[in-house]
Amino acid sequence: MKKTCPNPAFLGFLIATAILVAIPGLSYVKQRAPETIIPGPGVTRRGSLSDYLPALKGTSADTPVFYLEGKEPGGTVLLVGGAHPNEPAGFIAPLIVVERGVAQKGRVIVVPYANGSAISHTEPLEGSPASFSLKNKAGETRVFRVGSRLSNPLDQWPDPALYVNEKGQVLSGSEMRNLNRAFPGKADGSITEQIAYAIMEIIRREKADISIDFHEASPEYTTVNAIVAHEKSLELAAEVAMYLEFDDIPITLEQSPKNLNGLSHREWGDYSDTLPFLFEAANPFMGRLRGKTDETLIIEGKDPYYLAAAKAKRLNVPYDEKGLPLSYRVARHITAFRYVLDTYNTYYEEKAIIVTDLPEYEEMAYRNLGDFLN
Amino acid sequence: MQTEFIILLIMLGSFILFAALRFPISISLIVAAILGALCSGFGFPLARLVEGAFGYLDAIMIIATAMIFMRSIERSGLLKTLANAIARVLHNRPYLLLAFMTLFIMFAGMITGSSTASVLTTGAIAYPVLTQLGLDKKRAGAIIAMSAIFGMIAPPVNIPVMIIGQGVDMPYMGFTYPLLWITIPLAFLTSFLFGGKYIHRIPKESIEKGTGGFLVYAPFILLIVLMLLEELRVLDLGMPLVFLLCALCATVTGKRFDFFKSSVEAIGDSLNILSILVGVGMFIQVMTMTGVRGFVVGSFVSIPQSVLFLTMAVGIPLFGAVSSFGSASVLGVPFLLSFLSGDVIVVTAALSMLAGLGDMVPPTALAGIFAAQVVGEKSYFKIFARSLISVAITIVACVFVVLYSKHVAALPPWLFWVVSGGFLGVLSLIKGKEAPKVV
Repeated sequence: MKKTCPNPAFLGFLIATAILVAIPGLSYVKQRAPETIIPGPGVTRRGSLSDYLPALKGTSADTPVFYLEGKEPGGTVLLVGGAHPNEPAGFIAPLIVVERGVAQKGRVIVVPYANGSAISHTEPLEGSPASFSLKNKAGETRVFRVGSRLSNPLDQWPDPALYVNEKGQVLSGSEMRNLNRAFPGKADGSITEQIAYAIMEIIRREKADISIDFHEASPEYTTVNAIVAHEKSLELAAEVAMYLEFDDIPITLEQSPKNLNGLSHREWGDYSDTLPFLFEAANPFMGRLRGKTDETLIIEGKDPYYLAAAKAKRLNVPYDEKGLPLSYRVARHITAFRYVLDTYNTYYEEKAIIVTDLPEYEEMAYRNLGDFLN
Repeated sequence: MQTEFIILLIMLGSFILFAALRFPISISLIVAAILGALCSGFGFPLARLVEGAFGYLDAIMIIATAMIFMRSIERSGLLKTLANAIARVLHNRPYLLLAFMTLFIMFAGMITGSSTASVLTTGAIAYPVLTQLGLDKKRAGAIIAMSAIFGMIAPPVNIPVMIIGQGVDMPYMGFTYPLLWITIPLAFLTSFLFGGKYIHRIPKESIEKGTGGFLVYAPFILLIVLMLLEELRVLDLGMPLVFLLCALCATVTGKRFDFFKSSVEAIGDSLNILSILVGVGMFIQVMTMTGVRGFVVGSFVSIPQSVLFLTMAVGIPLFGAVSSFGSASVLGVPFLLSFLSGDVIVVTAALSMLAGLGDMVPPTALAGIFAAQVVGEKSYFKIFARSLISVAITIVACVFVVLYSKHVAALPPWLFWVVSGGFLGVLSLIKGKEAPKVV
């Protein structure tokens, strides 16, 4: 019988296609592997988000939850990082609490990577690096993934033309994958809505007295270097803002708009008894004016175009040659968190939450951030 | 000289070089992206390039399925029946007929968001009617190209607006009337400017009869119903599925045709524009990685307010030479941020119109090149030259819309229908010239 030989051109095409698929494919698969978190002495228990919504078990959205429980009873604070995993200070700040903090009184619950799906990919057209690394005191390299603002389309796709969230807010279709538009969430909804629901369940079941959502925004954005607070936490937030200003940390205070639904600072307050806060730090890596988009920009926050824009008074935040390094952005968040606790403790002594061993602002800002990680 | 400026020159230079060497536009964009990455020290970032290629996946799916739909209704006889029905009813009202043919050409662009789709489907079907009205190749080609561009910007589907909206977290809502105000008057003006002096009545006997009965219109009616249901949030199937369902409907409501074969042909015809979107995705991904996007955006936003309008008017259509979608993404967002004191929806609508004009700018010039093919004109530049006056008027109109955006936003929706209805009513009264006697 005559053997037929495959067309060499076709064979070549198949091999080239296989290579073109395999190389990026492997790097995308690598992006799904979670980074190592090294809990510090303050962590008394580790759970996962699926404990609050079993439907998330085994999905890419399931994510670790850390508990720092004090010997003395007190109140409970929930720290949510990584709702938008393209905002590195948003997840590094809660990670430092996990790796360094010790609760003396009350409890701290930390979800460093709230949207486990969004950290598993980067956003097309944004040219983001897949990861960045920091060196700890021992000289070891800690690698952290850079994610996307939206859940991975492999987990939730296609997007509708318009997204009408649980509260009837109409948004563009892709916002259906934005965790911070999905609150209060839905137990049987999309994966993003399920994450939102599970976080609401933590707040409700654990009776979180305070809940903080950590974010970053581009320096030209309108809500930046800001605390956004629900009306019931507004007075506390005003005091916190005042303390930050005393420390020369520029901050603005914004009340959560009542008609902007789906956001953490609105729905956490409307759907539970918690006092919600959202922190925003300015990060040039987020903005459209940014130059070369690489690891250095994430860590050092120095960008020539932002400097030019600042000189032309086009930014909403101070920006100079020092840039806005990750250590500064994280230091802002940690300091704001500490002031929230201090202020809360003065009003709610019986439910005070005392956390020690967190670095001071001066120790951390503009220093090697890796020194504060295990 | 700034590094990013040098990389921009390398990327644009290699793109123009490869396009001039007659490589497909998409390949030229991909080569430019790879060179940009190599020259800025990123090596050959395959994973990032592939990621960029997926940047416009949703738009690609909408265009691909819309093309299948358009090809299906062309094969079923719907388009020809509709064009002939319009021509038969209005054969002795040439001005009104020209206005309706303009809307007919725009239709495909309105539902696909692509000027290419518009030119290749409704444009190609309208061409015989335009020649019967008395227009030569160049005039008919210019009307088809420009109407197709107005169609891609007109609602319900406007991809540049969606792209700009993504950049500033703005939902695709409330754009219907601003886009109608911008596109419909300019489309009519363009058609009358190019054809008003030359058109005449058409002898009824020279118009072919349509092929089907009322049933042939069923896919079109289904499309409107499904879009309305989506608008009312009763049923959200997504545009790609809506187009595919309507295309399937066309297989049983008109002339029988091989759906698989026509779909393959439709995808084949649209591969050019689909691959351009892939190339634009890679190009913009590398522009962003390398800092070229920051350089471009930074340069534009640091321009003094006094000349901002001029740079917007010239820069956005010119950047459309790479791609109108790319122009919307790279320049649309920073310009919108510069005009936040106006009505953001109206400003975005005007910016999308300026980006759409990029489809007339060489070397890509999708609308112009395909229109030249449709009318059998060898040189695209003759169509381009004929269209320049309309391009200029559109640019000036967009600048005024941005300047007076709050006034445009305040116009009540009913006024659009009163003005349009009144205008068409006036046209219906004009009998026009007799058709020249054939000796």
